[in-house]
Amino acid sequence: MRILRLWRHPGSWTIFRLDDRLLLILIAVIVGTCSGLAAIALNRSLIAMFEWLHNFRHYWWSFIIPAVGAALSALFLDKIVKEGAGHGVPEVVYSVSRYGGLMRFRSSFSRLISSCLTIGSGGSAGPEAPVVMSGAAIGSNIAKFFFLNDRQRITIVGCGAAGAISSIFNAPIAGMVFSIEVILGEWKSVNIVPIAIASVAGTEISRILQGNQIAFSHRLFNIHHLDIVACIGLAIVSAAASLLLTRFLRSMHGVSKKAPFPIWMRAAAGGCMVGIIGIFLPIVLGEGYHSIRTMIEGAFAQGLGIVAVAAFAKILATSLTLGWGGSGGIFAPCLVIGSLAGLTYHRGLVLLWPSVPWVNEGCFALLGMAGLISGMLQAPLTGIFLIIEITGSYEVILPLIIVSVISTTLCHYIEPASFYLKELIEKGQLLRPGTDARVLSDLNVRELLEKDCISVKQNVLLRDFVNIIKKSHRNYFPVEDENTGNFLGMIHLDDIRSYLFNPLMYDAVVLGQIMDTDVEVVYLDDDLSKVLRRMDANRLFSMPVIANKKFIGMISKATLLDKYRKELMVQTGF
Amino acid sequence: MKLSLKDIARCLDLPASTVDRWIRQGRIPIHRSENVCIFKKSIIEKWAFNHGLPFSPLDKEKEIYKKQTLKLENLIPAMQFGGVFHGIKGDDVESVLKSAVDKVPVLPINKEGLYERLLEREALTSTGIGKGVAIPHPRAPLPEEIDNPLITTCFLEKSIDFEAIDDRPVFVMFILLSTSIKNHLHLLSRLAFCVRDDSFVKFLRTYPDSSSLLSKIADCENLLDRDDN
Repeated sequence: MRILRLWRHPGSWTIFRLDDRLLLILIAVIVGTCSGLAAIALNRSLIAMFEWLHNFRHYWWSFIIPAVGAALSALFLDKIVKEGAGHGVPEVVYSVSRYGGLMRFRSSFSRLISSCLTIGSGGSAGPEAPVVMSGAAIGSNIAKFFFLNDRQRITIVGCGAAGAISSIFNAPIAGMVFSIEVILGEWKSVNIVPIAIASVAGTEISRILQGNQIAFSHRLFNIHHLDIVACIGLAIVSAAASLLLTRFLRSMHGVSKKAPFPIWMRAAAGGCMVGIIGIFLPIVLGEGYHSIRTMIEGAFAQGLGIVAVAAFAKILATSLTLGWGGSGGIFAPCLVIGSLAGLTYHRGLVLLWPSVPWVNEGCFALLGMAGLISGMLQAPLTGIFLIIEITGSYEVILPLIIVSVISTTLCHYIEPASFYLKELIEKGQLLRPGTDARVLSDLNVRELLEKDCISVKQNVLLRDFVNIIKKSHRNYFPVEDENTGNFLGMIHLDDIRSYLFNPLMYDAVVLGQIMDTDVEVVYLDDDLSKVLRRMDANRLFSMPVIANKKFIGMISKATLLDKYRKELMVQTGF
Repeated sequence: MKLSLKDIARCLDLPASTVDRWIRQGRIPIHRSENVCIFKKSIIEKWAFNHGLPFSPLDKEKEIYKKQTLKLENLIPAMQFGGVFHGIKGDDVESVLKSAVDKVPVLPINKEGLYERLLEREALTSTGIGKGVAIPHPRAPLPEEIDNPLITTCFLEKSIDFEAIDDRPVFVMFILLSTSIKNHLHLLSRLAFCVRDDSFVKFLRTYPDSSSLLSKIADCENLLDRDDN
C-alpha cells in the first residue's frame, strides 16, 4: 500500500527533500524547458496559421477572417475552458499575490489556443502574455506536484513566466527581469537564482529548436549627441502613444461591455472592424514582427503621413481586438506601435531640420519600442533589456535608458498604475510582498483572537459582577443570553466605573440594564484592513468577535500590532 | 526533532493557525507531514533569532508558564514561617521593634538593616491600623534577602502608643516581609480582612498560642476564599 502511495506521489520521495534550493533549481530547469516549449509551440502554430490563411487574404471577404478567429477564441474561452477573456498577466500577478501562485491546470493551454485563433486569423495582439500565463500555470502545477510551499511555488511560477519570455524572444535577461519586475515584484536572491536558471533553460530550448537568431537584426548606428537630446522628445511621443493605447483599450472594454450581444458576437464585431482596417493598412494585422523588422532596417517605404496614420490605426486595431473580447497580449502591438511612433518622430525631425545628420531611422524605431514597453508596463528595466536583447544593439544603450526612464516617469505621472496592474490596484488586489496590504491580508481575525475575556449573563446582579471583575484581567465583559448563549452586548469597565463604588446600586441593577447593545462587532471572515478602518473611524481599540451569534473573543489593536510586527519581520526577513 | 503543531506554536508563543500558515507559505523552516512538524532545533533557533521571535523549548516554556500562573501564598504558610512570639518587651515604638526584629527567624539578613528600614517606614506614617494592631513592614520588598514571604506575629508585653490611626495602644504586631509587591499586597489585604472582623481582634486579645492562632486564621481565609468564588 505504502509503495503504491509513494508511486502515486513521486513529489514526496526523500530524494527530492534533501535540499530545498537544489530542488528548486532542478524544478526551474524543468519548468523553464516546458514553458519554452509552450512558447515555441504557439510561435510555430501562429506562423503556420498565418501562412495558411494568407491564401485567402486577397478575397474581398477577407475582413471576415479576424472576426471568425476572435469569435472562436471567445467561444473557446467562455464555453469550453470557462475562463475570462484578456491577456492573463493580471491573473498571474493576482494568483501570485493572493493564492501563493496556485493556478488551474487548464490555464496552461487555454490561452495558447485562444490567442492562436485570435492572432493567427489576423487580430492585432501579441503572443507573449498568453505564453506567460501558460508558463506560469505549468510552473504552478509542477510545483503542486512536488508539494512545494507557497513561497517556493511563487518562485516557480516566476520561473515559468521567465522561461516563456526568454524562449519567445530568445532573450534570457529580459525574461528574468520581466518575471521579477512585473510578476513577482520582489528582488531577492532566493527568487533570482531559480528564475535565472529557468531563463537559461527556456532560451536554450528555443535556440535548439529555432536556431540562435536575434529577432530584429540591424545595421550599426552612429549616435551623436544631438540624437540623445532628440530622445527626450521621442520619450514624450512614446509616452503619449502608450497613454493613448491604455485609454483606448479601457474605453473599448467599457463600450463592448455595454453591447447587448453574447460575448462571441462582440469578439466577432471587433475582429470584423480590425479586418476592415487591415484591408487598407495590412500592417495592423497579426503580431506584426515582420513590419518591425523592415522598420529597424530602415526599409519602411511609406511617408510620414502614412506612418503616423498606421501608428494610430494599430492602436485602434489593438484596442478593438483585445477590448472586444479577443485573446492575446499587448507586448507585440506595443513593439509595433513603438517602432511606428519612433519612425513618425524621426521623419518629423528630418522634415523640420533637414540639414542635421540624424542617425538612421531604424534606431528611432527601436528606441520607440523601448519607450512604449516601458510606458505600458511601467517597468523600465524590462523595456531596456528586452530591446537590447532582441535587437542585439548595445551601442544604443544610452538613448535607450533615457527614453525608457522618461517614458515610464511620464506615464506613471498620468496613469499611476501600469496597464497590467491597473485593474488589480483598483480592486485592491495587488499585494506585493512586504507591504502593509500584504501583511494585513495574510493575517486573519482568528489568529488575533484574545480569549481571556470573561463572559457574563444578562441577569447577573451588579453585586455579583463586582466579584467577577476582581478576577478578570480585562476591561471588557461580553454579555450573553442565559438560554441561547447568544451575544447581547458589551460592558466596558470605563462606562460603569462610577456605579461600582456605589453599594446602593449593587442589588438595584442587573447587567442587562447597563450593557452597551450598540457595539461594533467583527466576524471571523472580515477583512483586517476593513476592521482596522472601522476601529479608526469609531476610535475603538478593541472589538468583540462574533461567530454564529456567539461571542468568541476580542480583537485589539495591541495584539494586532504585536502580530503585525512578527508577520512583517518574517515576511521581509530572509 | 518532531513536535506537534500545537507544541511548536507554544514554543514560539504564537497561535497554532499562524504557524500552520507560515509552514504552508514556506516562511518558517519546518516541514510538516500530517500533524507532525519536523525540524532541526538549531535551524529553527537561528531562524527565530534572525527574525526577532522568541523560541523557548517546551520544558522551559512550561517553566515560564508556571512562573506566570504562580499562586500567591496565603497567610498560613507565611505565619508558620515567621513564627508567633509572646511577651515582646519595650516601652516605645523603637524599643519594641528592636526586640521584635531579634525574634524574626532564620534570616541571613542584617537585622540592624531590617530594623532601620522598619523605622524608616514608621517615620513615613504609622503602620498601626487601629484596634490595637500594627503591621510594621519595610517600604520595599526584600527579594534578595528572603526566599519566601513571612509574617512574624509579636504579642507585646504591654500595650504601647503606636500613633495608630485610632490612637488606641497597640498590643500585637504582624511584621510583614515579602518578596514582591504583589505578594505584599496580597498578604496585607488578607491580614486586613481578618483584622476588620471584631471577633478576630477579640480573639487576639486573649493572646492565643501559635496553633490556635493559625487555626483561627485558617477559618478566616476559608471565609475569604468562599467569598471570592
